[in-house]
Amino acid sequence: MVDVNKLREKAKEVVSRDDVRLLIGYRPGTYGFRARPAFVLGPDEVDELIFTPACVNNLASYITLEEKLPVPRGEEPDLRKVAVMVKGCDSRALVQQMEEKAYDRDRILVLGIPCKGVVDMAKVEARFPNVLERGEIALEGDKFVLSFDGTREEVAREELVADKCLRCRYPTPLVYDELLDEAVERFADDDYSDVSELEKRSAADKWAYWEEKFSRCIRCYSCRNVCPMCYCEDCVLDRLQPQWMRRSVDISENTAYHISRAYHLAGRCIQCGECQRVCPVDIPLMELNRKFYKDVEELYDYEPGTSVENPPLLSTFKVDDREDFIL
Amino acid sequence: MAVKKLSKEKVGEALGELSKFRLIAPAKSDEVVVFKQISDPGEAFLDYGNSTVPPKKFAFPQTETLFRFMVGSPELKEKNVEEEGTTVIFGLRPCDARAMSIVDKLFSWDFDDPYYLKRRELTTLVGMACVEPPSVNCFCTSLGGSPFGTEGLDMLLTDMGDYYLVQPLTDKGKKLEETLSAHLEDAPADDEKKAEGMAKESEGKIRRSIDTEGIPEKLPTLWDNELWKRVSAACLGCGICTFLCPTCHCFDIQDEVDEGGEGRRCRMWDSCMFEEYTLHASGHNPRPTRRERTRNRINHKYSYYPSRFEVIACVGCGRCINLCPVNIDILDILDQVVDA
Amino acid sequence: MAENSDFEPNIVAFLCNWCSYAGADLAGTSRIQYPSNVRVIRVMCSGRVNPLFVMNALQQGADGVLISGCHPGDCHYMQGNYYARRRFNLMRNFLEYLGVEPQRVRMSWVSASEGAKWKEVIEEVVNGVKEVGPMDQFKRRQLNW
Repeated sequence: MVDVNKLREKAKEVVSRDDVRLLIGYRPGTYGFRARPAFVLGPDEVDELIFTPACVNNLASYITLEEKLPVPRGEEPDLRKVAVMVKGCDSRALVQQMEEKAYDRDRILVLGIPCKGVVDMAKVEARFPNVLERGEIALEGDKFVLSFDGTREEVAREELVADKCLRCRYPTPLVYDELLDEAVERFADDDYSDVSELEKRSAADKWAYWEEKFSRCIRCYSCRNVCPMCYCEDCVLDRLQPQWMRRSVDISENTAYHISRAYHLAGRCIQCGECQRVCPVDIPLMELNRKFYKDVEELYDYEPGTSVENPPLLSTFKVDDREDFIL
Repeated sequence: MAVKKLSKEKVGEALGELSKFRLIAPAKSDEVVVFKQISDPGEAFLDYGNSTVPPKKFAFPQTETLFRFMVGSPELKEKNVEEEGTTVIFGLRPCDARAMSIVDKLFSWDFDDPYYLKRRELTTLVGMACVEPPSVNCFCTSLGGSPFGTEGLDMLLTDMGDYYLVQPLTDKGKKLEETLSAHLEDAPADDEKKAEGMAKESEGKIRRSIDTEGIPEKLPTLWDNELWKRVSAACLGCGICTFLCPTCHCFDIQDEVDEGGEGRRCRMWDSCMFEEYTLHASGHNPRPTRRERTRNRINHKYSYYPSRFEVIACVGCGRCINLCPVNIDILDILDQVVDA
Repeated sequence: MAENSDFEPNIVAFLCNWCSYAGADLAGTSRIQYPSNVRVIRVMCSGRVNPLFVMNALQQGADGVLISGCHPGDCHYMQGNYYARRRFNLMRNFLEYLGVEPQRVRMSWVSASEGAKWKEVIEEVVNGVKEVGPMDQFKRRQLNW
């Protein structure tokens, strides 16, 4: 576990630097067990910062999310660094963004947090509903310890941990300027059993499965907006000429939306699971992303977000790429 | 006339009776509770907290064709809402019904929206009182609502254990009670009293609150306050808070034309949290960042709407708090407004 | 889906300007008979085919989609078909994963001299789509109210 005092001390040191504009970290949420992003501008604001297994958000999204407004005449653009706290999975988003040359490495300062797993807040709130006063979650050994309303509950790790953590290959950040804790060895691997199980079904079964999910979609675009890899300035979804996906909400357009969203992440999705976490109608978006992830690994031996030197998957090829499917 | 009750064993029959109308009821899609049109009473899932997507979509659909046309032809075929027929929304929560009565004011304001109003006229709302507040973030009592609130409802059902207490509230409700009369029985005489007690108890269990006194007047004075930057910093600009809000009613109108020139003009939900919402054709955007958009969302609900319609456009259902991916909490924002 | 002998599928084919389009043209000038279910859209290179095109064709009523380009090594733009191959392979697997039968989305290499191969490819595609029937997964429905 990251020592919170050490984290705040380090944060204070970082935001005090002349070349740092902002630090993005976590602070306690407004109710229950929730945590939320914190945007720290000065050393006097670090006292709220935390890192606990409730810190589920991938803060890498905010680096590309910030609006780039025109600089008023006579003023210089603010080129100072943005400091960001990342878990292992989140760090891969930074790697992938830099692999795609979204920004230069010296624009960010990375505080890496080796992580043994975060909770799935939906599981926590299903198990402990109606917790309003601020509760705390800590990971002790193989148990989550939840303290709230003067009580203390221990729950086995696997009952509350986010699914993505059960197949996490990179618990320690792959890119960092400072590591806030001792590195964590890889403790899990991915066998893609969820994807393989779906793959085996018949075409009609598969479509029935997805039709139910897609027809629930309300196109709030939270899955797109939360995604650290969805940072195009001009998104194909917002374009009216040509309008590839219509704004009307029906099974055809919803499916088209989900195909496009997932395909745009082919060879780019870094498995942080944010899209699925934020979906208000519980569409298993990671099952879409993971299909691509699995194929990309099996067919092209490529794992996104692992090395800044890798060229992006779909802007390269090998002459001997598989082509047994071609007529 | 004695107060009636509907025994839980007869709910299936009653819903069967109502299937002669367009019957909307909460149902499960995987583990998600959604309101949908049901044909089989078995689909209805009444033992629920609240639905993720509010039932407003059955008065104000997410996508609605206004008329159809052929490119090159001056003829239009307008939608006839009456063809949808009489609709019964069964089992919605009092806050969502109250939200509809709030949105009614907008759609009948400077222009009577024929689609919306016709549909509302044809719709009977059968509410289900919240014996337990469905969520930790419910705050309906701060906004003049109640877990047993009747505003906007035509009939209220209260879960008394083995049966529902049936209280018709309007003429439509009375008519519906007649339709269902074969399935209803007389309720014990003191049930209405008992329900009042339950309402008090449920209100007592609502733990979040805000004193809205003075907020509508104060908001316009905070236009340039630095709090907006602070509260919007984490915002992702997605449409969860607005699309899932039972009172949000913004829409966009687009033409969709198929190959061959057959097209339709549709109205669809839009969200003030989207970047393109205020984007001008010139490329200028008067709300260029999430700061202005968040400010607009709060101002619209808590200042513009009450200044025009004398009611705050929020019913305290708690959906935007529960489902915001980054824990932006409208009560937290309002607290900061009060403190500012 | 039941096999329907009366079913005549609509196939949208994206053909590269330099090889496959010329190959299809050769089939025509050589009076080789091939199924008339195919609607050709000429693109400059198979690498031009955005997966959105495939998706949109299926939405708009195509029962099957074919992308055809030059043989590897013969691309007029040197590499376009290699990129297309990668993109298409992922798209094909993904659509299959959603429940779109793999017979509906196909890719082929047809050179300018392969009029006869063009006929074989089209027969294979049309028969494949006939086997799985009309595309009805996420076709835009009749404009509804």
